[in-house]
Amino acid sequence: MNINGPFVEKILKLFIREEMKKSHFSRGIIGLSGGLDSSVCTALAAGALGPKNLTALILPYGKVSQKDVEDAELLVRALGIKSKTIDISPMINIYYERYPFKNNVAIGNKMARERMSILYDFSVREQALVLGTSNKSELLIGYGTIHGDMACAINPLGDLYKTQVRMLARHIGIPKQILNKKPSAGLWKGQTDEGEIGLTYKELDEILFLRVDNKKSREEILAKGYSEKSVDHILKLIKKSSFKRNLPPIPKISTRTVGHDFLYPRDWE
Amino acid sequence: MKVALAQISPHLGDVKKNLALHLEYIEKAKKKRTDLLIFPELSLTGYTLQDLVPDVAITPGDSKELAFLLKAAGKTAVVLGFIEERAEEKGIFYNSVAYLFDGKILHIHRKVFLPTFGMFDETRFFAQGKNFFTFPTPNGRTGMMICRDFLSYGAGYLLFAGGAEIIIAISAAPGRGLSGEEGFGSSRMWELMGEMLSRFSNVFCIYCNRVGFEDGKPFAGGSFIFNPFGKLLCLASYTESQMLIQDIDMEESREARKLWPYKRDDKPEIILESLKRIVGKYEY
Repeated sequence: MNINGPFVEKILKLFIREEMKKSHFSRGIIGLSGGLDSSVCTALAAGALGPKNLTALILPYGKVSQKDVEDAELLVRALGIKSKTIDISPMINIYYERYPFKNNVAIGNKMARERMSILYDFSVREQALVLGTSNKSELLIGYGTIHGDMACAINPLGDLYKTQVRMLARHIGIPKQILNKKPSAGLWKGQTDEGEIGLTYKELDEILFLRVDNKKSREEILAKGYSEKSVDHILKLIKKSSFKRNLPPIPKISTRTVGHDFLYPRDWE
Repeated sequence: MKVALAQISPHLGDVKKNLALHLEYIEKAKKKRTDLLIFPELSLTGYTLQDLVPDVAITPGDSKELAFLLKAAGKTAVVLGFIEERAEEKGIFYNSVAYLFDGKILHIHRKVFLPTFGMFDETRFFAQGKNFFTFPTPNGRTGMMICRDFLSYGAGYLLFAGGAEIIIAISAAPGRGLSGEEGFGSSRMWELMGEMLSRFSNVFCIYCNRVGFEDGKPFAGGSFIFNPFGKLLCLASYTESQMLIQDIDMEESREARKLWPYKRDDKPEIILESLKRIVGKYEY
């Protein structure tokens, strides 16, 4: 689980620079919440592309996460990048006034997709590629909104567990107030990731690391002393969220089919 | 003799651009009076080709790209990787490495060990090579391998038994595995094999890997040369493109064999008979 901060920083910056170049973009755009993942990704992208070539969009819902907005603005100033703050509450409110629905998860997803929609609109306005900020822990258990915060052109942090993102954040000097706050998707007031997932990131990442990186079976993980409740919960989440990690299935009825046996690399030059 | 390792990042699926890149490195190498210039696996095409394989394949003897390269290389020996479609086997594609010298292709090796597990999918796209031969060159008797071939000690043994003085492995090896150390965990694996093979075969072991990303996979560079005593002579960056140049003294192969008679004491006939007995017990 340990990482070498300078090496990972170097590799991820090279990745950002090279994937941008292959997509024929020189500028990037990123949704910055003021949380750990988007802050780390913003700092890496600013370093990789140069501060002038990165725009951060800060997209709060009204005043719900005022502290996060302040932290995001602090990071923007420290990195010397361009930013724009857009309150998404008018768009969200007008929709739910017309089609009321009292469901926190659905509303949270709607907000994530509103942010995605703005990011992709600005992607065209600014001729900038959208950088994603999903980490490996989230991707594996499906803790993200499909076509929402999971939507992006490249995803630099996708192979780092939350624990490792935190290690990297410490190495690259992310401000303390961002580093030390409780991880939250900011979906509603007082929401925390750990509260919603029902596990601490420490336990989650340790179990995921054993299962995914070391290919340990359920029984082998249990033998290491992890509770049956936690392990089974995580295994269930991995399985349940498989659809978020795959393209929608296409019925294969011809000899050559997109998603089955029409196989071309994305980085095709 | 002077050896140059072109640790490049080929353009995926664009033979024209890669040909220009090769010609650029050949010019650079010639200016430095290099005797042997080595490019990585599939240097002419990029690695993650999938269904692009037939579109970028070339046929030795009927390829203007190879003709260009042979002409440009002249008396500098050039080793490069490409997709091969043999004139007598149209529609069959190999992951191949060619040794060019003085207007001729001295040898072609076709990758035997095609990794097909985890992130690798080579048997889906390539036919399997069947031989590990050594061949004479002006720079000593040489054997070649491609990437995963090098991780088979059986393959290394065959080149040793074939009398190789130089073993060249070209590679497109992605880095993987993090720890507190600098670099990827997988890099050590290649270095360990290089050290072992050079030390116990008394050969120069030359490994040329690539760098750059393809669909998120980072190729981990770290090209190297070990001398016939198992001593590391040079090691390239794990992340950056570079041309690594190293003088080597072929006399060291003789010196090493004098001190450590592994080659003299080798027992290929016993190994062959033992293998026959092992294979003979297979249940079909």
